[in-house]
Amino acid sequence: MSAPTATSLVTFDWVALAPVAVPALGAVLVLVVDVLAPRLVRLHAAVGVLALVAGIALAVPGALRSADDPLRTLCLPAPDGACLYEAGPLASALQLGALASALLVLLLSWPGADPRDHLRGGPAVIVSLVLAATAGAAGVAAAHDLGSWLVCLELATLPAIALVALRGDAPAGRGALALLTTSLVSFAMVVLGAALWLLSTGEAVFAAGGVQDALADPERRVVLLLGALLLLAGLGFKLSLVPFHVWTPQAYAGATEPVAAFLAATSKVAALAALLVVVQPLVGAGTPVLVGIGILAAVSMTVGNVLALVQDDPVRLLAWSTVAQAGWVVLPLSALDDDSAAASGGYLLAYVVATLVAFTVVHVVTATPRRRGVVDQGRTLAAYTGLLRAHPLLGGALGLALLSLAGLPPGVIGLVAKVVALRPVVGAGQWLLVAVAVLNAVIGVAVYLRWFAVLLRDPDEGPARAVIRRIPRSALAALVLGGTALVATSLMPQLLLGLLG
Amino acid sequence: MVILVSLVVPAAVAVWLLTGGRGVSHRTANLLASAASVVTLAGVLFAVITRPTVDRAWVPSLGLRWQLAVDGISAPLLLLTAILGVGVVLHTLDRPPQGGTTAAFHACLLLVEFGALATFYARDAVLFFVAFELVLVPMWVLITRFGDPHDAAARADAGGRFVLYTAFGSTLMLVGILALVAKAGTSDLDVLAQGGGHGIPVGTQTLVAALLVAGLAVKVPVFPVHTWLPPAHTTAPTAGSVLLAAVLLKMGTYGLVRLPLASLPEGFAHVAPVLAVLGAVGILWGGLACLVERDLKRLVAYSSVAHMGFVVLGLSSGTRTGLQAALFANVAHGVVSALLFVVVGGLKERWGSADLETARAALREVTPRLGFALVVGLAASLGLPGLAGFWGEFLSVYAAWSPAADRPEGLFRALAVVGALGTVLAAAYALRVLRTVWAGERTAPRIEDSRDSEWDVIAVLVLAVLLLGIAPGPLLALTDDTVSTIIGAAP
Repeated sequence: MSAPTATSLVTFDWVALAPVAVPALGAVLVLVVDVLAPRLVRLHAAVGVLALVAGIALAVPGALRSADDPLRTLCLPAPDGACLYEAGPLASALQLGALASALLVLLLSWPGADPRDHLRGGPAVIVSLVLAATAGAAGVAAAHDLGSWLVCLELATLPAIALVALRGDAPAGRGALALLTTSLVSFAMVVLGAALWLLSTGEAVFAAGGVQDALADPERRVVLLLGALLLLAGLGFKLSLVPFHVWTPQAYAGATEPVAAFLAATSKVAALAALLVVVQPLVGAGTPVLVGIGILAAVSMTVGNVLALVQDDPVRLLAWSTVAQAGWVVLPLSALDDDSAAASGGYLLAYVVATLVAFTVVHVVTATPRRRGVVDQGRTLAAYTGLLRAHPLLGGALGLALLSLAGLPPGVIGLVAKVVALRPVVGAGQWLLVAVAVLNAVIGVAVYLRWFAVLLRDPDEGPARAVIRRIPRSALAALVLGGTALVATSLMPQLLLGLLG
Repeated sequence: MVILVSLVVPAAVAVWLLTGGRGVSHRTANLLASAASVVTLAGVLFAVITRPTVDRAWVPSLGLRWQLAVDGISAPLLLLTAILGVGVVLHTLDRPPQGGTTAAFHACLLLVEFGALATFYARDAVLFFVAFELVLVPMWVLITRFGDPHDAAARADAGGRFVLYTAFGSTLMLVGILALVAKAGTSDLDVLAQGGGHGIPVGTQTLVAALLVAGLAVKVPVFPVHTWLPPAHTTAPTAGSVLLAAVLLKMGTYGLVRLPLASLPEGFAHVAPVLAVLGAVGILWGGLACLVERDLKRLVAYSSVAHMGFVVLGLSSGTRTGLQAALFANVAHGVVSALLFVVVGGLKERWGSADLETARAALREVTPRLGFALVVGLAASLGLPGLAGFWGEFLSVYAAWSPAADRPEGLFRALAVVGALGTVLAAAYALRVLRTVWAGERTAPRIEDSRDSEWDVIAVLVLAVLLLGIAPGPLLALTDDTVSTIIGAAP
């Protein structure tokens, strides 16, 4: 087919773009509604929830397609024919993960549910920030050119900083500042990396063809690998990989629990999705990138687990657990074969489900007002004493989430995820990395069982029985959604792994 | 179908006890759990006789299937698990658990039974691993919540050690399994056993076999990774100790037979001498520790280390006799240690501690039933002919004396001598215990003798010990066919 003009052949498919476009439109719509009806705060939240539900529904078709036939749109004219937007099963599954986790975050921050109500700016601002960041996360998963990839990545990051800062007190300020500083550094590295990528491959698209050409040429190869390492480092900030993790505990502890959940789930999906877009064309790139990822994985797991082992604030514990789990997430990428991207995505989604449930329970336990005369133990592990018997729903959900994170049945999904993550690495025979992973599996068990043991105690030993009077309906909805997902995927891990193609 | 019944029933009842039935009374919970475990036993019995198979996809993207079957190696262990599953629930009838709700206690017992049965049924290597992990959390809860009420720190320590050691072992095993599956291209245990590691370089075979052996050795446990066992036994409640000794340890030896021995015979041949040496060291170490140990429960735990040493020695010899001996000793140890733990746990409850140095009334005088059961248990444990312990240990030593052609003969003969020495040590510590607690004239302080459900359980176990000792034939015949297919035509 001849190409008369460039523009005439650029495809444009709204349905394919919908998982990104709907949350973005939702973000704008919420602000419009806020202008028209500033008092109807529930309506603002409802618009946000509806936008995410619609986004989820529209992302499903992409997840059900085969890997060879992804949804494509925004395709450039021939002869290159590269598409700027390409959503195969893996990218769609990550989009689903981002949208669904943002949905739970919105439910948790439903107006009026938290009596402390300390987020500034009102529900409309929160909802639109969450939606904007989610649109970025969904976009980065499917972006296939440097420009939209960078824009979406930053769209996923910047609103998160504002969300942390909105709490308005000193810890929140420190957390937001830490996040802002690291985001700037990370942005600088990513941009530099992208520039080197462009320089070496000569095209602004993430495609295997250009990469193979560049790898074949020794001079361009060096530039490309340097660019890839810079991109890896920049994304390491966003994924909380050691040594780029320092902001994580500060930002989590400074933010409200729903925002921390957002950072732990949606933001991580965005970061991994961005990484996978970069890594997939690099299959066959050889040792430097592999070694880089392997070292990051090993160090993150170890540092995250060891520090999680000594935390007493559940949010900080979950923050360090994020660092450790991020190591597990990138572990399969160090093998860099065809299956490792899907393995990495599968592990991430399993982690997201479990960690969201844990954050939901932490939010409910921390936010519910205490009865008079009961000592508020605030955000300490002691506040969970005997939760399993005092409040079986909360205790059971948190218990299952912790066991999933530890990778112990009945949290079968966590165990299966460990199998998925270890398989490519064992297959590639990277025994040193495997040894580190085995040790960390054990330390991880210790981390989560330490908390689980508190849940198991006699409720009379602690105040958990007196603390929780009733769960706000929106938080209950989040708990039921997350808990059901956890139970269903533990019984049938295929529900989750099957999404990845 | 019967396989599924025997798995679903305990799991479903356990889940109900943990959710809807949390508040039920001790009697109701016990009745329910008894019913569930009896139905399970019936299902297992039926499955052992009719040998059905189940094969359903579970996680297609991992190639993981619900592939369940029964053969000669798993049948005795399935029966042992199901029978003891009924036993521990009955034993709990007169002992409302302390430290948590009775529903949770029963649920944990049923979940351990479920996990163990699933492990023995599993015919897919990855499913085997998942089932292997199922028992960890319920057992950990049994130890840390329902264990020795006197010492919370000891409970936490023992539970933590148990779960961390075994999680380490099983993750190593997972690595081995994944490597094996990657090299052999299938996770079907039967296909793996038929393939026998053909086409995999010997070096890789050895590495994978070493990983599998190292991982499973923690569970068995083999010296020097046995250190989690004594504290776990000392603090666990009696029912937990019984399940731990009689069922959980067997999962380790069963795994050794199924995975490295059957799937990677060449690789295992290279690892076997090391394993055999460690087994022999365990026999001596366990025996010596028993000679000086003051805590009776801990003493029985150390004797377990010694007995599992015999099992490992038999496994390593590479002969049919050795494997037969190991499988027999496995089941025999299950029965004998269950008996000993019921008796010793009962004594600890009555005495308030299990310290051997404290002067107590002689069991022969005040509690003839418990005394008799202890004598039978220890006699079986020292390998007296005519009791269950004899055949396994005798045949193990015999197999070590004449190992397979590819094993270093001199080394194995030396180990056979060490094993024989171990039986002498066993006699010494058994007599030491009997002299201290059974013989004598003291009649104060009086303790109550065994009766009701505890005595029923003890009586059945004593009978089983006698039966296995007098008529080992049926059990040996049961395992014979499968052993032949694994080892081949070797003697």
